[in-house]
Amino acid sequence: MATRTRPDGGSGGLKDSPPVDFTQAVGRRQPRPTVAWLAQVVSGVLLLVLMTVHMVAQHFVVEGGLRTYQDVVAWIRNPVVFAIEALLLLTVTWHGLAGVHAVLLDLGLRGRAERVVARVMRGLAVVTVVYGLWLLATIASRG
Amino acid sequence: MSDRRGLGTVLLRVFRYRNGDGAPRYDEFRVPVGPRTTVLDALLGVRRRQDPTLTLRHSCLHASCGTCGMRVNGQEVLACVTRLDGLGDRVVVEPLAGAPVVGDLVVDMEGFYGRLEPSGRPLLRASELADLERFEDCIECGLCLSACPVVATDPHYLGPAALAAAGRLLEEPRGADREAVLGWVDDAHGAWRCHAAFECSEVCPAGVDPAGAIMRLRRRLLRDRLSRLAGLHDREARP
Amino acid sequence: MTGKGLRAAGGRHPSRWLDPRGRHLGTWAFVLNRLTGLGLVAYLYLHLIVLSTLLRGPDAWDGLVAVFRRPVFLALDVLLVLGLAVHGLNGLRVALVGSGLLVDRHKALLVAAGILVGLVGLVAAVRTFV
Repeated sequence: MATRTRPDGGSGGLKDSPPVDFTQAVGRRQPRPTVAWLAQVVSGVLLLVLMTVHMVAQHFVVEGGLRTYQDVVAWIRNPVVFAIEALLLLTVTWHGLAGVHAVLLDLGLRGRAERVVARVMRGLAVVTVVYGLWLLATIASRG
Repeated sequence: MSDRRGLGTVLLRVFRYRNGDGAPRYDEFRVPVGPRTTVLDALLGVRRRQDPTLTLRHSCLHASCGTCGMRVNGQEVLACVTRLDGLGDRVVVEPLAGAPVVGDLVVDMEGFYGRLEPSGRPLLRASELADLERFEDCIECGLCLSACPVVATDPHYLGPAALAAAGRLLEEPRGADREAVLGWVDDAHGAWRCHAAFECSEVCPAGVDPAGAIMRLRRRLLRDRLSRLAGLHDREARP
Repeated sequence: MTGKGLRAAGGRHPSRWLDPRGRHLGTWAFVLNRLTGLGLVAYLYLHLIVLSTLLRGPDAWDGLVAVFRRPVFLALDVLLVLGLAVHGLNGLRVALVGSGLLVDRHKALLVAAGILVGLVGLVAAVRTFV
């Protein structure tokens, strides 16, 4: 049989793609995946601490669990609080978007498409952190 | 439920697909079942007495060739050693997942072997190193790939069998190029795509524990990376 | 061929990781980690949007806080804490095991994470509603 109709087209929806070559990357150690893994581990452990501090300090210390406007401003003006929240923002944005990137890799993202997506996500991370820091600084400067 | 011979019966719902069909379907077959009747026994009985067009693969009949891998009620098993007794009155039989269906319960194993070959899969032989999970046990049945949730969505992922083979080769290279194999698995779609579901090790009928092998690979890759970052080791100086 | 047919055929379908049949605890942990992770990323952006209300001054913010004190939102907050606990504690297991540490104990780590998640959820629920 020269051609066969297979239920999934041979690669799950990518009906016209060639068979996968599994011999790639032979002989060359790539730094990226190991470093990416380490970054997720370190940021994850950091988040376990920072997130716990954040949740306890933000919601389990104040009466009723939610601060009024005045309380928020007073709270964020504290330089230690500001620093911790800024670090949390940085860490969670990195860890979260790297995680989304990993899910896309799980769905088969590879090659040039993967490089484009990685660049977009890095850009998104920068925008998110910049906006968050600006928001923190603006509120802290009020009152 | 008993027929007149005093044996129980089970209703098999079997996945059917023929080249050229628009879509797969499930055919139902009522089969007699004794306490030792296996899924394979029942399927071969269906071929003999009810529908000779049912397509399946088998060989050794005792779980050492790995040919009869399929999913029974969604779980990957070797049909020749899976008893129907205790699986319920209705049993769903489907081919392994993640591989193109050639016909009915037969799948194309090219993807499986394509991943395994570059690992430099070591030849079967006894090993003197007692505490290793003996990868020599791998019977290349493909159940692990079918069960792996990452293989389910990533067509480039090397998968449990190939990675376990690479791990085995690193433990006992016998002249193989370790650096090449390490480079091969140190890839976003190699060892780093595993998410520790351990489903492969759960379904493996031969005790290979591919997940353990993948994690040992990753520990090795991390140690190499960290020592290189710390400048402790020169790449050429490593044995 | 329909999506259902594709899944049945065992072809690579983006949703096949959600097929629950014959799957064990480790796969469930993976599924939960992925779902909580994606949910938490979505929440991050939702949270930033909500926090932006601070820019509109005390009346806008305090009005919002009054809404968020309602029981339905408090319940969602407990869910958030649960989601964080699941992702964080299971994530710790993945960090250890995925780096090749305590691999033989991965099931025990799973059970320990589950127990801790239950405890955190209990504390959060009690603290919120009692």
